[in-house]
Amino acid sequence: MLGEFEYVLITAAAGLGESTYGAAIREEIEKVAGRKCSIGALYTTIERLEKKGLLKTWMGEATAQRGGRAKRMVRVTPKGMQAAKEFYEAMMRVSHNASWVTGKPESAS
Amino acid sequence: MGYGQAGECVMSSLAEMATIFLTPRDRDAVLGDLAETGANGWNAFASVLGLAMRQQMELWRCWQPWVAGSVAFAGSVLLLGVSFGLSVDSRHLLRGERGYGSMLCEALLMLLWAWTSGFVVASLSGKTRWVSAILCAIPCLSCVLRFQDTSLSRLCVLLFLLPAVVGAVQGACRARLSHRTALTLAIAMTALMFVWDGMYMRNWFLLLPAWWLVAHAERPKLSN
Repeated sequence: MLGEFEYVLITAAAGLGESTYGAAIREEIEKVAGRKCSIGALYTTIERLEKKGLLKTWMGEATAQRGGRAKRMVRVTPKGMQAAKEFYEAMMRVSHNASWVTGKPESAS
Repeated sequence: MGYGQAGECVMSSLAEMATIFLTPRDRDAVLGDLAETGANGWNAFASVLGLAMRQQMELWRCWQPWVAGSVAFAGSVLLLGVSFGLSVDSRHLLRGERGYGSMLCEALLMLLWAWTSGFVVASLSGKTRWVSAILCAIPCLSCVLRFQDTSLSRLCVLLFLLPAVVGAVQGACRARLSHRTALTLAIAMTALMFVWDGMYMRNWFLLLPAWWLVAHAERPKLSN
C-alpha cells in the first residue's frame, strides 16, 4: 500500500494532467495540502514511485525561465492510478465510522 | 554588493557545487526547479543538500549496502592480517626458512581474496562505495598507525589494497562474472585453501565473496 505522501504526490501529479514536472507538483502540494514540500522529499518519492512502476519520468525541454535547465517530466502510470484508488478506498473504509466523518459526537469511554 | 547579497551569492554557488552529489538528471531538474521558484542562497543550498542526504538514506533501505559495508570492513580486517603474514613469510623465504610453493599459494590466495571481495563490494552497492571505502579505510589506518614491527615497513599490511581496488573498479563496471569464470575462480580458491598449510579458520570467511559471485553469475540462456 502507498504511504501518505506517496498518495498526495500521485494525486497532485494526476490532477495536473498528462505530463507535469517537479516544480509544478511541489507547488500543487503546497497549495492544496497546505503543507511545505521540500525538493528532497519530492524527488526521493518520485524516484521510489518510479521504481515501483507507479510513475514514469523523462527529461523534458529546457526553458529560459529555468535558466536553460531541463524539466523532469512525470506521468502517473495505470498501476499508479490503481494504487492511489486502492489507498483512497482503504481510507474511506477506515474512516466511515469516525466522528469527524459521521458528525456524531465522540462517545466517552 | 552588500554583505547579505554576497552571502546569498556564496550560498547559491555552494548549492550549485553541492549538486555534484546528484545524478546529472536530478542536477538539471533540481537547479531548474530552484531557478523557476526563485529559490536562492541558503534555501537553494539546503534544498540540494537535503535531497542528496535523502537519496543516500534511501539507498540504505535495501540490504545490499549493509552487506557491502560488512564485507568491506570484515574483509579488510582479515586481509590486513593476511598481508602482514605474507610480508613476514616473504622475509622467511629470503632467509631460506620457507618454501616457494607455500609462499606462492599464500600470495595467490591474498590476490584472489582481495580481488573477489572488492568486486563483490562494488557490484553489490556501487552508489554507497564511499561508505564501503571508509569502512575499509578505518581498520587500515588503525593498523598502519599502531604498527610496531620495526623490521618491516608499516605499509606492508596494505598489500591487499591494490588487488581489492582493481576488483572494486571492475565490479563497478561489470556487476557479474560469467558462470564459468566465477565457478573456476571459486573452485581454484577453495582448492588453494585446502593445499595451503598456513590456513586459519577465520580466513574461510574470505571465500564467501567468491561463492557469492558463483551464485549471482550470468548463466547462459537455455535455448529450446
